[in-house]
Amino acid sequence: MSASSPEYTLFLGCMIPLRHPQIELSARRSLGALGMVLSDSDGFSCCPEPWNVKGASLDDWLVLAARNLAVAERSGRDLLVLCNGCYSTLTEAGHLMSNGGEAAERVRGKLEALGLSYSGTRRTRHVVQALCDLGTDAVSASVTRPLSGLKVAVHHGCHLLRPHEILQVDDPFDPVLLEGLVEALGAEAVRYEGYTDCCGKATRDQDSSLRIASNKLAAMKSAGADCVVVVCPACFEQMDLGQVEIKRRLGEEHRLPVLHYCQLLALAQGGQPDSLGLGRHRVDVKPALQKMQG
Amino acid sequence: MAKAIPDFKDKLSRIEGAGRLTACYQCSACVAECPAAQQCGDFNPRLIVLAALLGVGELLVEKDSVIWQCTTCYKCYERCPQGTHPIEVITACKNLAAAIGNAPEEITALHDTVAGNATLIMPSTAIEKRRGDLGLGPVPAPAEDLERLLE
Ligand code: SF4
Ligand code: SF4
Repeated sequence: MSASSPEYTLFLGCMIPLRHPQIELSARRSLGALGMVLSDSDGFSCCPEPWNVKGASLDDWLVLAARNLAVAERSGRDLLVLCNGCYSTLTEAGHLMSNGGEAAERVRGKLEALGLSYSGTRRTRHVVQALCDLGTDAVSASVTRPLSGLKVAVHHGCHLLRPHEILQVDDPFDPVLLEGLVEALGAEAVRYEGYTDCCGKATRDQDSSLRIASNKLAAMKSAGADCVVVVCPACFEQMDLGQVEIKRRLGEEHRLPVLHYCQLLALAQGGQPDSLGLGRHRVDVKPALQKMQG
Repeated sequence: MAKAIPDFKDKLSRIEGAGRLTACYQCSACVAECPAAQQCGDFNPRLIVLAALLGVGELLVEKDSVIWQCTTCYKCYERCPQGTHPIEVITACKNLAAAIGNAPEEITALHDTVAGNATLIMPSTAIEKRRGDLGLGPVPAPAEDLERLLE
């Protein structure tokens, strides 16, 4: 491996390793094939998740997030996350800690009592950023089975894009990076109405939540998409398992397969759908795979 | 009719991010693209901010308050010309509701799961088996020292 191989501490969060491990598998394989070195670390907690835990207590949310950042700093590497929730929590918490309000002061004291400190020397990188750092040419060069003919609707997810002044990934209303990464695999990214809209996962009323997702899936389908690409396990759940619920509760059927970007990457690198565990997805991915030529 | 809570605005403003409440001039820029406003009849970020400004806290922190419909999409944060950031006012309202035991049960339960077990989802033999079948190792050991941070 070259001296410039990027090294990260992998922060898996909860949903991927404990509910959708097939996403973790694709990430480890595909990012490894690109020369990224991912180290595991014990001692993390949930990031914590940025709407329920934060809604219950911003102080608890911040202290747990800052603790994770402090633990990560001891490894001396940047963190890599595969989830928008982890990205927004750890990035926003780092921002709050560095800009020191009253909440940050309280947290600093609590960390010190445990012999931990946060200095802000390490970044949290979302896999989209890490791949863009590497460059779309490097991503393309790893492809052995180009996804030509496949039309992909990308769904960034809100917690990757907004608030932009803190997260600083891409334009909050006209993002292009994930489309570029999809096209690097030989697939075609299709734009659709409501491109940066929410998946609706956090809305408490179930029918309203599903309605938001259903509208988005319908717009993707009208634009000709064969599948959806997400970069977050919460968006994944809402759009994949959500389609079962949408059919049951709203009587609408979309049959639009949903993949995490790392899964699409692993497929383009020659991975087999079965060994990648894609059979666990609630919406059958085979029709989309059949569209891929070559 | 909902009553005003005398120190509601002060309490709210002390929560990180919610301090720019008074800059709101009720322009509605936060409403147009709000998915919760589009789907949930009673939800309107401008009116939530107004209620908070007027101190009509009861409406916001009662059990099953409309605030829990927010998707946390942050569109209002980007669109607000005044830096009021309705989402942050809503999060602060959620915190105040939770502090008096009025958060939805499932949300309190998730918070308590993380506080007690470090992870949002409990490990199980079923998931360890699935991980094994995929050729993945065990999940890294979670944090053990959270109790003292959360006391
Ligand atoms: S919160 Fe901001 S966008 Fe909404 S009404 Fe007030 S000033 Fe306008
Ligand atoms: S964050 Fe909440 S209030 Fe703001 S636009 Fe999104 S759903 Fe509406």
